[in-house]
Amino acid sequence: MKYISKRLGFYLVAFFAAVALNFFLPRLMPGNPVQMYLAEMSQSGGKIDPQVIASVEQMFGYDGSVPLIQSFFHYVVNIFKGDWGVSFAYYPQTVLGAVQRAMGWTIFLMGTSLIIGFIVNNLLGILVAWKRGSRLDTTLTVGGQILANIPSAITALLLSFWLCYSGVFPLGYAVTPLYQPPTVWAFIKDVLYHAAVPLLAIFSTSLGGIMGMRANMINQLGDDYIVMGIAKGLPEHKIMFGYGARNALLPVVTSLAMQIGFMLGGSLIIEQVFNYPGLGKIMVNAINRRDYPLMQGILLMTTIIMLSANFLADISVLILDPRTRTQSMKGKK
Amino acid sequence: MNEVLKVEDLCVDYITENGGYVRAVDHVSFIIKEGQSLGLAGESGCGKSTIAYSLMGLHRPPALISNGRIFLNGRDILSLPQKELRAVRWSEVSMVFQSAMNCLNPVVTLEKQFFEIYKYHHITKNRAEARERAIKLLNLVGIPAERITDYPHQLSGGMRQRAIIAMALALNPKLLILDEPTTALDTVVQREILKQIFDLKNQLGFSILFITHDISLMMEFCDEVAIMYAGKIVEQADCKTILHRPNHPYTYGLKQSFPSLRGEIHYMEGIPGVPLDLKHIPQGCRFQARCNKITCICKEKEPVRSNTDSGFYFCHNPLKYEEEQK
Amino acid sequence: MKKIWNSTPVRFLRSSPRLTIGICLVLVVLFMTLAAPLFTSYDPNFRSAGEYHSAPGGTHFLGTTQLGKDVWSQVLYGGQKSLMVGILAGALTIILSMFFGISSGYIGGAYDSIVSTLTNVLMVIPNIVLLLIVSSMVDGGVSPLVICLIIGLTSWPWNARVLRAQTMSIRNREFVYSAETLGESKIRILFVEIMPNMLSMITSAFVGTMIYAIMAHATLEFIGFGDPLSVTWGTMLYNAQNTGALQSGIWWEIIGPVMGLVMLGTGLTLINFSIDEISNPKLRAQRIMRDYYKAKKRQQRKVGKAV
Repeated sequence: MKYISKRLGFYLVAFFAAVALNFFLPRLMPGNPVQMYLAEMSQSGGKIDPQVIASVEQMFGYDGSVPLIQSFFHYVVNIFKGDWGVSFAYYPQTVLGAVQRAMGWTIFLMGTSLIIGFIVNNLLGILVAWKRGSRLDTTLTVGGQILANIPSAITALLLSFWLCYSGVFPLGYAVTPLYQPPTVWAFIKDVLYHAAVPLLAIFSTSLGGIMGMRANMINQLGDDYIVMGIAKGLPEHKIMFGYGARNALLPVVTSLAMQIGFMLGGSLIIEQVFNYPGLGKIMVNAINRRDYPLMQGILLMTTIIMLSANFLADISVLILDPRTRTQSMKGKK
Repeated sequence: MNEVLKVEDLCVDYITENGGYVRAVDHVSFIIKEGQSLGLAGESGCGKSTIAYSLMGLHRPPALISNGRIFLNGRDILSLPQKELRAVRWSEVSMVFQSAMNCLNPVVTLEKQFFEIYKYHHITKNRAEARERAIKLLNLVGIPAERITDYPHQLSGGMRQRAIIAMALALNPKLLILDEPTTALDTVVQREILKQIFDLKNQLGFSILFITHDISLMMEFCDEVAIMYAGKIVEQADCKTILHRPNHPYTYGLKQSFPSLRGEIHYMEGIPGVPLDLKHIPQGCRFQARCNKITCICKEKEPVRSNTDSGFYFCHNPLKYEEEQK
Repeated sequence: MKKIWNSTPVRFLRSSPRLTIGICLVLVVLFMTLAAPLFTSYDPNFRSAGEYHSAPGGTHFLGTTQLGKDVWSQVLYGGQKSLMVGILAGALTIILSMFFGISSGYIGGAYDSIVSTLTNVLMVIPNIVLLLIVSSMVDGGVSPLVICLIIGLTSWPWNARVLRAQTMSIRNREFVYSAETLGESKIRILFVEIMPNMLSMITSAFVGTMIYAIMAHATLEFIGFGDPLSVTWGTMLYNAQNTGALQSGIWWEIIGPVMGLVMLGTGLTLINFSIDEISNPKLRAQRIMRDYYKAKKRQQRKVGKAV
């Protein structure tokens, strides 16, 4: 399992980098963040009790009495203990609590659009690679790339103007407020009804994936084993999926990291447009009210989401590609 | 003897930009009889691989068969619908490709790749039976049975090529096409594998179309040899004639470009000039620019077919041997 | 006239409609925004008294905002700023990407492992969150220039990774080895042997980054970062969203920036496609495929007639 442990090691490094970024970023900024933070807090009319001050100081490592390295260490330990500080924007909730409440929706949006995007883009990519040079090919590749390059905010705005203000789909929220769904099925229906347009908006930003899959597929189709497959008299669908797509998928899955980042970014922005109660929504709130602990908590949590998604991608590569698999088996021996 | 393969007036064009085309194979005809082995030789780019690919309908865009017919066991495969063509492939004619390294699907085990063949040709849907058959074939080419669960990357180059040969024989085809099967391998393995194939040929009785630029290998293994230049077969005859009394100057040049395995060491003459650019085909004989026997007529008229005892050639001024015999 | 029609660059454009459309779109946007005073007589910040949210037509081509500002002039002048920021941020990003990508691909060794670990780490830390947090920590209003810097500093890893891979693959080609054997200096090899082979890739990465930077800038301002007083496409959308323009069906406040961004995005994307097509012979083969399909159809028709 050399491959897996290598990836896990990398993720650990990345996680620590995010933690370090969280810890040191405020210190790089001019002025004393604790003072700034407390000033913002009192300005916005928040209650400042000693517990909050202590939590803030701890958060920024501005205890004063302890050396920097020690406070960093303290900070890291607290993070692992689950003590991420107290949110001000959502006082008296803890940061972890607020983040946990919101992250479900973001993971739902991002995960669903990621899966839909992955399936649709790759299928379309396979199709246009098979029919390369045709009108369908040009339309889908160029059109997909253009849609992908238009920011999710714009797509979301247009879609909401078109679909939501006309009353076909709801204008915001993840579920109908104050609605008590009688059955689980009704709840799922309600959630999907609210998520449909946001999902469509995120999905449209992922359409660039068509071009990636198409390029890989065309590369694979030029390979000799494809010709041999045809020569063996295998039917077209077998060549297309069992031979071409199966191999073309590997680099796509490997480079999924970028796609995942895109999807997450898209989700966060789109939540703002559709008033969706995920991490993006509380992030903008946190930023508007200068809720630093919450911001840091969100950066940490989104990094964790990214790392987990990447880890899943790694495992799929392992399942899909015998070459990495046997390598890692040799490593075990 | 039955004709296993009969190619008539085959033309293959490569479509180029703005509707133009380059004719890579130009009115080629030949016949392979049951149990016979025909060698097809020529420089790179002369169209020999294009022929091999079009025989199985494997030619890929932008290659287009623009003329001619290909009869395989009496059936014109160019007029077959896709479904029947798929059934013909591998069961009546199979092929061993040039690049052994990349010919096997890298993410599938050997066992499954054998199983696919049996499954889609409706031989058996039983994995155990397919496995048994596969192991027999692998033994035939000298691969131990336990390697059947290996992925292609776990096999060496020679082993991969042997595995492909085993696969090529899976459905007992009447014709086996060898498209430079050993160029990717070292010389020792090369000879060993070829010998194995030709032993199996005698054992199982299939015919062979052997394509290579290595004319000495061809002389050793083939009954008959066809020499291609710039998309045309310029001479065809049995091995002995080609070796000792070639008619076409190009055949002579090609033969002289390879050291012979036995006998004295000769000075290798080679052929001056570069292969013909198919975009600019001159009037008259295609070989004119590189020929040492050129006369006026070569620049005006294309040579016509002259039949000999064992074959034919296309040349205005064939090499003469009377003096030698005296 | 005929001479111009048949000249080489025009003929090239005629043979590639994608590129022509792309260039036209970008030129139109560039010209309209850079020569804004030619197309409008209003100051984008001038409030026309009494004309609040007035519909398009009449004295205001695209109507007015809630505060009575002329939307059309905002679109034109705002576009100027959006374009500037986009180009600057794109340039900064691509310079950083090139520096890190090419140097780590070329030098290799420990330097490479450090840089590529850094690149990979930055890639798994969510870009947009980082962007937002950094911009929120900057004291005072976030000026376009600061946004530029932030975009540049956080988005270079993607292209750096691509360029690194490309540098490494070129670095291992024979002609580079032969240059090394001939004793050419490392700098010369880098600039004379390797870089020219990456030109198309760098150009296309630059165009791609520019698209990304313009869009990221608009996005950031749209969700409320940036100086709400400066007029850009992003802040226009922000203001429209915040004043509930959409809810009340005031489409003219968003149509301008949206159209501008869409036109620019489309144009640049089409240009990028053409760069790929020119530099990548595999993609050029598509045109041959079109001819192939035609030839095949012709042949099938002939066969059909014969039967």
